[in-house]
Amino acid sequence: MNTVQELNNSLKSLIQEFEHILNQASSLQELEDARVVFLGRKGKLARIMSRLPELDPADRPGTGRTANEVKTELNRILENRKEALEKQAAAGGDITFDPTLPGRTPDMGSLHPVTRVIQDISNIFVGLGFDIVTGPEVETDFYNFEALNLPPGHPARDMQDTLYITKSLVLRTHTSPLQVRTMEKRRPPLAAIAPGKVYRRDSDLTHTPMFHQIEGFLVDTHVSMADLRGTLTAFAQRIFDPDVKVRFRPSFFPFTEPSAEVDISCVMCQGQGRNQDGSTCRVCKETGWVEVLGCGMIDPEVFLQVGYDPDIYTGFAFGLGVERVAMLKYGINDLRMFFENDIRFLNQFA
Amino acid sequence: MLLSLSWLREFTPYKGSIDELSHRLTMVGLEVEEIIRPFPHLSPLVVGRVIEKRQHPGADKLSLCSVNVGGPDSLNIVCGAPNVEAGQNVAVALEGTKLPGGQEIRKTRIRGETSQGMICSETELELGQDSAGIMVLNDGIKPGTGLSYALGLEEFVLDIGVTPNRPDCLSVLGLAREVAALFDLPLNMPVLNLYEDGDRDCTDEVQIEIEDPAGCPLYQARIISGCHIRPGPAWMRHRLMAVGVRPINNIVDVTNYIMLELGHPLHAFDRTLLEGDWIRVARAHSGSRFTTLDNQERELNDRDLLIRDTRKPVALAGVMGGANTEINDRSSEVLLECAVFNPLNIRQTARRLGLHSESSFRFERGVDQAGAPFALDRAAQLMSELGCGRVYKGVAKSEPRPCKPLQVGFRRERANSLLALDVDQEYCRRVLTSLGCQIQEESGTMQVTVPTYRPDITREVDLIEEIGRVYGLDKTPEHLPKVQKSLEQGEADHEYEFLDSIKQWARGLGLQETINYSFVGMTDLDFLGIPLEGRVRVFNPLSEEQDVMRSHLLPGLLYTLKHNLGQGNTRLRLFETARSFVQDQTSETGVRENNRLALMLYGRRHRGHWPYPQDDVDFYDLKGLVENLLQSFGSFEGHFVLQENHSYLEPAVRCVYHRKEIGLLGRVRPEQSRVYKARKDIWFADLDLDKLHELCSGVKPQFQALPRFPVVKRDMTVVAPLELGYQQVLEVVENAGVAILEDVSLVDMYLPQEQQEKKFTLRLTYRHPDRTLKDSEVDREQQKMVDLLLKKLPVGFP
Ligand SMILES: [Zn+2]
Repeated sequence: MNTVQELNNSLKSLIQEFEHILNQASSLQELEDARVVFLGRKGKLARIMSRLPELDPADRPGTGRTANEVKTELNRILENRKEALEKQAAAGGDITFDPTLPGRTPDMGSLHPVTRVIQDISNIFVGLGFDIVTGPEVETDFYNFEALNLPPGHPARDMQDTLYITKSLVLRTHTSPLQVRTMEKRRPPLAAIAPGKVYRRDSDLTHTPMFHQIEGFLVDTHVSMADLRGTLTAFAQRIFDPDVKVRFRPSFFPFTEPSAEVDISCVMCQGQGRNQDGSTCRVCKETGWVEVLGCGMIDPEVFLQVGYDPDIYTGFAFGLGVERVAMLKYGINDLRMFFENDIRFLNQFA
Repeated sequence: MLLSLSWLREFTPYKGSIDELSHRLTMVGLEVEEIIRPFPHLSPLVVGRVIEKRQHPGADKLSLCSVNVGGPDSLNIVCGAPNVEAGQNVAVALEGTKLPGGQEIRKTRIRGETSQGMICSETELELGQDSAGIMVLNDGIKPGTGLSYALGLEEFVLDIGVTPNRPDCLSVLGLAREVAALFDLPLNMPVLNLYEDGDRDCTDEVQIEIEDPAGCPLYQARIISGCHIRPGPAWMRHRLMAVGVRPINNIVDVTNYIMLELGHPLHAFDRTLLEGDWIRVARAHSGSRFTTLDNQERELNDRDLLIRDTRKPVALAGVMGGANTEINDRSSEVLLECAVFNPLNIRQTARRLGLHSESSFRFERGVDQAGAPFALDRAAQLMSELGCGRVYKGVAKSEPRPCKPLQVGFRRERANSLLALDVDQEYCRRVLTSLGCQIQEESGTMQVTVPTYRPDITREVDLIEEIGRVYGLDKTPEHLPKVQKSLEQGEADHEYEFLDSIKQWARGLGLQETINYSFVGMTDLDFLGIPLEGRVRVFNPLSEEQDVMRSHLLPGLLYTLKHNLGQGNTRLRLFETARSFVQDQTSETGVRENNRLALMLYGRRHRGHWPYPQDDVDFYDLKGLVENLLQSFGSFEGHFVLQENHSYLEPAVRCVYHRKEIGLLGRVRPEQSRVYKARKDIWFADLDLDKLHELCSGVKPQFQALPRFPVVKRDMTVVAPLELGYQQVLEVVENAGVAILEDVSLVDMYLPQEQQEKKFTLRLTYRHPDRTLKDSEVDREQQKMVDLLLKKLPVGFP
């Protein structure tokens, strides 16, 4: 057998051999290994090609063509097999793949429910055109009380048990000082909300010495009770439920006149006073209503403190307890949970 | 304020339901917090008539009674009371009844005789102190009648939350005025029909002298003589008990009764214990002492107001009487005081001494001076009618500051504009008149004379509130405000927005937000070695654990950690944004409030098990978070510098950003973390958010064209002594002045076993902006850095 025949036979046998090996290969890596053995720089095909110079010059082009044809064929077989294997893998053919194993999930962070409620409330009021303002938590007696029409000795000071730093410095008992601070800095028309921590000297099942409030106020000419009612009704319906009922009860705050407390229909029992199973609702104590905020038309005395003419300007103000809203919104029944920071509690507000 | 419905009905004929009344009161600002049934345990008791009484055959002190309780058969009841007799009407607890003390009545045999119930005493029913015998009721009552009904006990009591501006509503009379106005009913004042007895005149017996007219604008007194001190009548005792006042004796009960009914606190002195013939109202001497009714000796100051006789103080005005002149069983003559004291004086005294009484509560809010004479006369009349004693002629009185009703102007248009109403003049007139105002009209505006019992009404806006209150704030129109606002003003305050962005960042990185109290204990700060200077102490803390404002966020988070570890939560990734508080005389309030971010990592690095390694977090997890935060502000120029001897962190690393120190990170010292039950390292960072905010505001991304030519990457391994920091190597390389060096990163660090040196492998990335680099020029530049490193640092190359 001459060299030409021998080489041509070797070349053709490569095809069968390659096909056989590829058919046995079950992974892309095995295909790649076979490719290196047959088609690599030092592979079987290359080794045969390297013997071309041994041939008669006249035989070289024919064998060379055959070699190229074989190479094309080998590549075609390889591609076909690769495609088939990939299809098989995509069809779930890889039995080691288990989609039910746990994923590499990054940690889930969470925002405190108080933060979430402040965000929700802020978004509503920012949408209505209110700005967000902040102020000191250690506050002067002037801003916390006097400027809000609560002179020393006023019995309404008893409504808020105060933590003092010095005689004239308190831990703010409400976010209302921001009314005065903001009015001092700006001129009407103005509308702002002030979220933040407040402090009272009170600690029991339903009181913590620190909690959060949001104060809101709006000052312009011709602001009326109707503006206040419209704003707070819209707010309550957005934060709780579009069907929630809102009730305004006259009340007393030294820095608003008239003043009112706002109740919403109880979110736990839908204002029925009783749960579905007939038991009495503990959230509203059977009344069907729960108090959520205090509000009123800004008292002329407060305007005088900041140099606004009460005959020209009117305005409204309101203040609400954030934890209270969070309890109603999320059904939390224990106030103390808010400051224990148990991560099993926090996790629920991811 | 507890209001008895039957008492209210003596003043105004309200016939409607209790629920309707509660609702209307609530909706005019007198919130009914609870509807109370004051004697719920008495409802199963009935009136029985003792038909026959026999001696118990087996016991000397027991009687066998046959009692008619309205049914066909009479009951056999064994009774141990000495005063039980045939023919009496008595209170019977039937089988199944539970007595107030918890005892349940069952059919029993007592010494062989059947007993089918119990005949009760006052004490057993908690209706009084008389336990000597059973209660004997009036003869006329039909057996079987409910006991509550037979005794005329109050059926309903409303617990009303009265706001501090409405002292007038701290009485049955005041609430009756509101109810009469609301339901358009008449107001029936009790008829005064005082019978003054004897020929002696009170004004001859007692002189009143007021040294402090501002503190006491009115003082008046009557004398009741020939007194018999004993329990008050049952109806009065029951009524007092229904509204939570303990009956004492006939004299004191009348003073309490009048206070609840008319709102005027009265005080009764034992006149035989008063010395001399005058009463003087004056300030106390600072430092003097006085023993009040409750037998407590009180130290006084010169703002306290005292009532004195010729020789001694006898009462702390408006707050509490003195032990030295208290009514007792032998009191035969009473001086009855009805005065008005300055609310501020009373308030400061009551608060300072922690002596809050029903009396001081009313004086602090303001009692109606014009109504005082009526209250005194009605009290005297009751005492006389109830046989407590005889009333002398006349009233000893001094009124240095008579009260005058206030006149306030009222414009209907103003009311309509503020309340968004459209009510007419007639409506306003009707409402204000129903509330006791008198109105004169002058050319369109109303001059309103406000009744003296409404101290809360001093301005037009207060009258407007009354219109709104009676109209119903809940019925006024509502709409969203239409406000024109300047956009310029929205710029001022970005604190909230910035803090919110930090919280979102932290949540995104899998941290959980905590909120801890702003106050901690002094000892918490001491324990962490934080200096005493600058701490902001709470003057009147609730407890020692909350007596100082936190200057550092760590203690709060340590308590959170401790709580969680106690609950079995052993992997914690926490953050908190809150203010720290430090004294600073340059700030407006003398306290600097600084927004901080605290990060705390504890336990396993990964939350799952498979396929993660089960190792714990370390410094680089914490540092990575801080670096990520700095990068989120658009630049990465944080430097981390070891700090020696930190009081609570070891290691402690300062974070410097844009050449400003912005915080500290490290591991809480083990001896400190152990106290909070930590078994592993606590990694903690504390960053100054105000500084970060300042540094980052105004930083905005700057676009740079993307490179068009390829990079060349070369690795360089540096052998360094153990104490040499990576940062030092990096700084030499970066500052070598190699323009084509684009990036340096650490690809490997190797610490050989023998621990004498370490190897950093740096990957250097080179690129020229305008052309492809040649190998030779990269070789040249890299050699430049090698030479420089050898020159500047004790390093070598392998
Ligand atoms: Zn409910």
